[in-house]
Amino acid sequence: MNKRQTRAFFYAGTGVCALVFLGMTWDTHRQIPILTNESKLTPEVIQGKRVWHKNDCINCHTLLGEGAYYAPDLTKITQQRGAPYIKAFLKDPSKFYSEERDRRLMPTLNLSEKEIDDVIVFLEWVGHIDTQGWPPRPILVSGSAIPGTGMMGAVSGTAPSNEPIALGQALYRASPPGCFACHSVSPGVNLVGPSLADIAATARRRIASPAYHGASKDAAAYIRESILNPNAFVVVGPTFSSGGLSLMPAGFDTSLTPRQIDDLVAYLMTLK
Amino acid sequence: MRYKSQRVAYAYWVVALLLYGLQMVFGLLAVAKYLGPDPLLHYLPFDRVKEVHTNVLLVWVLTGFMGGAYWLVPEESRTELYSPRLAYAALALWTTAGVTAVVGYLFGWTEGNKLLEQPYPVKIAIVIVMLMFLYNLGMTIWRAKRLTTTEGVLVAGLALTAILYLPALLVFDNYTLSIFYRWWTVHLWVEGVWEMIQAGLLAYLLIRLSGADREVMEKWLYVIVGLTFISGLIGMAHHYYWIGVPGYWLPIGGFFSALEPLVFLGMAIYAYSAMRRSGLSHPNKLALHWTIGSAIFSALGAGILGLAHTWPAVNKWTHGTMITPMHGHMAFFGAYVMIVLAIISYAIPEYYGHSEEKSESSVGLWSFWLQISGMFGMTMAFAAAGVTQTYLERILGMGYLDTQRKMQVHYVMLTAAGIVFVIGVALFLYDFFILAPRYARKSSTWTAEADLAEA
Repeated sequence: MNKRQTRAFFYAGTGVCALVFLGMTWDTHRQIPILTNESKLTPEVIQGKRVWHKNDCINCHTLLGEGAYYAPDLTKITQQRGAPYIKAFLKDPSKFYSEERDRRLMPTLNLSEKEIDDVIVFLEWVGHIDTQGWPPRPILVSGSAIPGTGMMGAVSGTAPSNEPIALGQALYRASPPGCFACHSVSPGVNLVGPSLADIAATARRRIASPAYHGASKDAAAYIRESILNPNAFVVVGPTFSSGGLSLMPAGFDTSLTPRQIDDLVAYLMTLK
Repeated sequence: MRYKSQRVAYAYWVVALLLYGLQMVFGLLAVAKYLGPDPLLHYLPFDRVKEVHTNVLLVWVLTGFMGGAYWLVPEESRTELYSPRLAYAALALWTTAGVTAVVGYLFGWTEGNKLLEQPYPVKIAIVIVMLMFLYNLGMTIWRAKRLTTTEGVLVAGLALTAILYLPALLVFDNYTLSIFYRWWTVHLWVEGVWEMIQAGLLAYLLIRLSGADREVMEKWLYVIVGLTFISGLIGMAHHYYWIGVPGYWLPIGGFFSALEPLVFLGMAIYAYSAMRRSGLSHPNKLALHWTIGSAIFSALGAGILGLAHTWPAVNKWTHGTMITPMHGHMAFFGAYVMIVLAIISYAIPEYYGHSEEKSESSVGLWSFWLQISGMFGMTMAFAAAGVTQTYLERILGMGYLDTQRKMQVHYVMLTAAGIVFVIGVALFLYDFFILAPRYARKSSTWTAEADLAEA
């Protein structure tokens, strides 16, 4: 090749690829309103996006997998945790996580109530963008889909504060009672026992179903009942129950204090 | 130094290297926060440290490029610079904008958009500096009526850098769109027009250092730049896979971004063949090291390590893990840091007008090897951390925080390698700021004494 030919290669190659690229960009613009649910892009969501930028969230967290790698991905966080949990968390993250144990902690941002609400609806909106199936399986903040792997030495059973949810989470992962050994908190990951992801919604469905014969009227009561009396509602599955009786061990009514059961229920109610 | 106004480049490199030092301070702070707990949590949290670390990198590399252009253009166009005074004014504005941004970040003044965090007034100042810079170079070339392919590629790369900064000024309500156009600046800089700049500087250095035939070098320069855009434009897709764009970006974009390593492979072959053909007889061994090193290291870091996670089926699992900084650190260092250090190492003896065969080149070589080994170690530490994270967190479903605890050992390795790297950088600064001027003073007195003796 001589210089004139290589120059032609440069101009032609760049030109053709630029045209294809601009065509793809044009079509993407056409499709983005549907893929991102632009009809749900309310002023609150836009306001929440401003909160997101103003507080530089992207330089610790990832969102849609983009950002910094110092803190967990938040793409599906509202679906995993729910607004009440995130709200309480944002007011004082040190109540939920221990810097001593995790080697890092989110600073308290001193956000206003309105800012917190807005950033939550923004994250909720992001959580429903069509991401072509990413992440292929849920990215958890803490805990585990695999029994045993959540245990990281002796410190994991201690809670960083007296916040009931934090205490409940620590208890869930402690052994005894060893809840984590049979139940995952990942959606769709059933270990020996059924997954407890979104257990509050599941509980409401079960109470409403004709197969339910227990005494509970709401989700929190159902969770409490299931801990104290696993046979109140039996989930069918080869490793879940046998002959109409739950395989979950009994005796938590005596081995756990009422306060501990309250904490556990508070924590399980936050799982989405 | 053939033209007096090439002196301008030195001032740019002074600023660039001071910022390089500052970037190291914030890099060390950032890794210390991974080791935790963090005593500065409430004064200087991670986000601000990381923001300064990356922004200072962009600014100093660009300053280095501009210095490179002020050095190279007069020589290539065989004329003095149009206006050295305008160049100094631009540098003053640029430095002020940069320092303002850094101080602002420390106090939380930010647009919070990854890599484009610069507050709006700073962005405007950046655009003004770019225009001053391009006007100055444009007038120089215009007056000389002489434009070589080498300087053409370099200046076009810098002009496109300025143009591609414009999307950064746009604000979108839709988060997906704001990411979409953010990458027009960031991706098309680092995987597009900056490769032109790298290729232009590389061609200049290879011609000067190896005495390779200009016709041949410039012919292949077109092929390298052509490959850059053929792969890099649609290759932008690897930033788009999961952000809410149509599915066809995955297969098409995956294919083109898998071609991106060809550019860097091309540059490595380019450097190697120039070396084979014309030998390595140039006395400036240090500049040779950095030049050939840049070609090889960018092929590894930007080429191979980029390829490692660019395919959608792989990226699905690695996206947003430590695999990204593994590639990012080595790619940026190999492609852009090393080429700037190469042009500086080449120019400094010429600037002082003395030969490079002298005492401080051993310090320079130590600096080279320490930076190379430090960066290699850091890349390995990031890679081990990234693979651990991908398997435990993404594939097995272990929580983020639990996985991070398992990765502590890799952060210790990262710190150790980082310290080696920083020592290398410190030696480079020592060589540039202390040894080179001292040697210049000494050799000029020698010349004066020799003159006296003769008289």
